[in-house]
Amino acid sequence: MTEEMEEIKKRKQEWEEKVLKPAVDRFGLKESPSKFYSPADVEDFDFLTKVGFPGEYPFTAGTYAMSPYMPAPRRGIPGASGLVRAANYSGYGTAEDTRDYYKQMQARGQRGGPNLAFDLPTQCGYDSDNPLVRGDVGKTGVAVDTLKDFEVIYEPFQGELELDRIASNFTINAPANIIMAMYFALAEKRAVPLDKLRATPQNDILKEFIARGTYIFPPRPSMRMVRDSIVFLGQHCPHININQLGGYHIRGAGANREHDLAFSMAILVAYLQEGVNAGLDVDSFAPRFTVNAFGGSMEFFKEIAFQRAARRMWARILREKFGAKKDRSMLLRQAGLFANMGNENCTVQRPLNNLTRSMVGAIASALSGGMPIPYPPYDEPLGLGWSLEASQLSEDGFKILQYEAKLTEVRDPLAGSYYVESLTDEIEEAAWKELDRIEAMGGAVAAIESGYMQREIAKSALARQRRIESGEDSIVGVNCFVGESELEVETTRLVPHPYDPVRREEAEERQIRSLAEVKRNRDSHAVAQLLSELKDKAKKEDENLIPHFIECVKAYVTEQEMCDVLREVFGEYQPVAL
Amino acid sequence: MGEEKRIRVLVAKPGLDGHDRGAKVLALGLRDEGMETIYTGLRQTPEKIVQAAVQEDVDVIGLSCLSGAHKYLFPRVVELLKEKRMEDVLVIGGGIIPEEDIPFLKEKGVTEIFGPGTLIREVADYIRQNAKPR
Repeated sequence: MTEEMEEIKKRKQEWEEKVLKPAVDRFGLKESPSKFYSPADVEDFDFLTKVGFPGEYPFTAGTYAMSPYMPAPRRGIPGASGLVRAANYSGYGTAEDTRDYYKQMQARGQRGGPNLAFDLPTQCGYDSDNPLVRGDVGKTGVAVDTLKDFEVIYEPFQGELELDRIASNFTINAPANIIMAMYFALAEKRAVPLDKLRATPQNDILKEFIARGTYIFPPRPSMRMVRDSIVFLGQHCPHININQLGGYHIRGAGANREHDLAFSMAILVAYLQEGVNAGLDVDSFAPRFTVNAFGGSMEFFKEIAFQRAARRMWARILREKFGAKKDRSMLLRQAGLFANMGNENCTVQRPLNNLTRSMVGAIASALSGGMPIPYPPYDEPLGLGWSLEASQLSEDGFKILQYEAKLTEVRDPLAGSYYVESLTDEIEEAAWKELDRIEAMGGAVAAIESGYMQREIAKSALARQRRIESGEDSIVGVNCFVGESELEVETTRLVPHPYDPVRREEAEERQIRSLAEVKRNRDSHAVAQLLSELKDKAKKEDENLIPHFIECVKAYVTEQEMCDVLREVFGEYQPVAL
Repeated sequence: MGEEKRIRVLVAKPGLDGHDRGAKVLALGLRDEGMETIYTGLRQTPEKIVQAAVQEDVDVIGLSCLSGAHKYLFPRVVELLKEKRMEDVLVIGGGIIPEEDIPFLKEKGVTEIFGPGTLIREVADYIRQNAKPR
């Protein structure tokens, strides 16, 4: 220990006795309500091994050397750009409804590809005409049954916005390979080669079992589908991100911060191992894994530290566990939003408060290396879809933090903060411990099959609820500062939502009708033949099913027809008891 | 007074919605409030839910839906209960339910809707006051 550290520790002790304690006593408290961090809290801090420079191992200070989010130098005053980002998660009713939505948004200046939300039947491998899914068709996203739906959705994306000029995002998971096959078939029809396509499928099935719920097959055959995507996309599609990990869903389902990080990393390890087991060099596919905004809560500094810890841990896993050589393999790449407020912390009570909360999250995002996006739009919990007003406020909040507050000018501005460095160490250490426990159980798949992860998440969710009920955790306007003297600030929506509520009501019926028409007009003999071939291929563990999915979708085989064959061969996931 | 029969609650997830944090928390929380709870797991059709309610002889069904499909799924459960002559089973709902849909759901026989921010004890109190043990 250096002399200086000795001195600091001595002075710290003196400060606690002579300055802090009298203050605590004066207010009649048992302990100080605030903390102070000094070098004594990060004794083994070594800048080069713990932080390093941005864009260099272990990437604590940032994935890239420069902020990718700096506004480009401009001349003059930027014009009104409207809602230009196409990245808003969107998808409504039928394919026609979603096509028309994108047309409207393009008329407002939106450029770029769609970030498609699919309805739950599509995400769970059911067609719209299945009586089991009645009520869910076209809700939470667009219904996709056959290639026909993709053809319609993508009508506004031609010419300047042709498939090789835009990037598409699909939140699809369990049937990811089938939906990707639709994208490939559409590209073929439009003479766009596969190696020109840019897309990011959320193809993170393991977190579905523990957090999001849109699983179909049991974990092991699901991992085969992941393997198929790693191999196929690796061979044919150099500009498609192989897999976007869910990120915030595990926390949203109730996991605490350490479990969230550990479970996410255990899942990452399982996917990487799948690629390695297929005989691939980890450096050939790891660079194409990305993460959808990770973690998320209102605890500002802890979320920033979480991001730093996550980057460091990801890099260490790639280098130490998988022997990756390329820096690019070790990068935890996220879509734009880094630390965030966590959608589940939006309140339906006094919904405008969510704007304040999302600004806190946006600042945390910037300080942890991401874009300062106030996300989600404040009306998230109202269940009506984001209004254009709320989306505009989000967009403007982002610009205010970037252009006026200049939050993205410095990389990792909290590097070296005794508090944030100590938090980063603490979170990472706890997550490693938990990751080791999961590895000892046999890894993520085993920990899901046994129900370990599911039960831990439910436990943490209940613990959080208890803290809210006891008042230990505060949610303003929900469990505190409520009463007759408080104003109930409400929100009104004046700009009509681009998706007409009348169309919404009729969407299910219209989708069922259009599916019936597709079924009438296709070659049913070819369909039966393709499905029987699918069954044979599915039975062979080594067979990559994606090329055959492409043949199926081109013949307008429906998503459920393919999934039913796979259900027969793979079985269906049965959730574990609580 | 003899030992009081415990209130039996079926916590159910109708439809395909996979957001079950609230349902699980409620199933565990109501257990701590002295009730017997059964959680159905995800992806239950109204038919399966009512079948489970009959088999488990429950006093209350708590439906949770965050996908927007509540306007079909919740009333359908009430309808099927009526067909089974089980209209004395208390049906309550929760999830992301827009304010404007609540009168419709109440009219269809869902007696109360508990939105985000609800405390477990509020639900427990409501159940104790309104359930008719069978």
